[in-house]
Amino acid sequence: MANRPQIPTKSSALIAVIADEDTVTGFLLAGVGNVDLRRKTNYLIVDSKTTVKAIEDAFKEFTAREDIAIVLISQYVANMIRFLVDSYNKPIPAILEIPSKDHPYDPAHDSVLSRVKYLFSAESVASDRR
Amino acid sequence: MESHKESQEGGKEPESDFDGIHNSENEEQLQNQRQIQKQDDENVLNFMDSLDYYLTLMDSLSSTLREGWMELASARHSMGASRISTALLDLKFHHAATCLLVTQVDSIMEVPHFTLCKWASLTNGNSRQRKHDENETVKNANSLCARQRATSPSFELQDKSLPSNGSSLPADEQVQKERSKSLAVFGTLVSPKLRASQHSFETALETLIEVANMRSLMLFAYDQVLKNMAGKKDP
Repeated sequence: MANRPQIPTKSSALIAVIADEDTVTGFLLAGVGNVDLRRKTNYLIVDSKTTVKAIEDAFKEFTAREDIAIVLISQYVANMIRFLVDSYNKPIPAILEIPSKDHPYDPAHDSVLSRVKYLFSAESVASDRR
Repeated sequence: MESHKESQEGGKEPESDFDGIHNSENEEQLQNQRQIQKQDDENVLNFMDSLDYYLTLMDSLSSTLREGWMELASARHSMGASRISTALLDLKFHHAATCLLVTQVDSIMEVPHFTLCKWASLTNGNSRQRKHDENETVKNANSLCARQRATSPSFELQDKSLPSNGSSLPADEQVQKERSKSLAVFGTLVSPKLRASQHSFETALETLIEVANMRSLMLFAYDQVLKNMAGKKDP
């Protein structure tokens, strides 16, 4: 714990969204949309034309930005860049996998749950008994 | 017989003293072990509770989002697909009307805590000022609460979210203004379904903040359980 970086206190942090059109529209209606002076947004609309590279770049950008505290990502989009999402383990920004219209939430794919799944595996029980 | 008994008792005395010390040491050890076990159990319970709550919240989030999408689809049906499109989104410089406040639960538990500040636009200086004024009024009205607020960080957080709760009229007006501003992207006269959708997504956002907080607690509890397990393996 001592090695962990101190959690910075932020007075007005943003919520970033990487999701399908309707989900992004909904969250923009709820007021999370932000456009900075360079016209950079805090959301990415993913459709059939969006490349995996674009999603990767957006994810990297949002997780590197200091003004973002939570990144909402549709689970089916997260599945496209699973290696990146699973390897991310910083407390801030927190990555939350959310359901989308066509893809219901599956706890088996959630990166946080797969991280803690170890405690429920036979491996962990066996290693505890050894 | 009596003398024999006495001699036996007399012989046992130093042994019983030794046993007493030994027993008390054992009891202390047992108590320590019990305490450690209790702490371990507590950590496991915390972890299981947070995991359960996380899954429950995700379930509730799914149904809220489903409602939101349904209402958005209804709004699109009544207003036309061209009027509810991402092509209409405002790409000019503007701040988010809804943002987050990130704090640490306490110095020992390095767990981030997120608080949602709904409709607190930075671009509108008046709104901030108004909210600040309202906080001052509440503080003056109740000195006891003010004292508690000064000592407890949770009271401060409640305080900041107070205006968005709609406790007083000016804040309500401000919130309505911000909501209308957000809806105005899709036109001046919008379908009530779009308003309903906005409300659903606001609720979803509140649930998401709870999910984020529960996620932090779950990961903290998980770390604790892992530490205990590692401690047992390498005493």
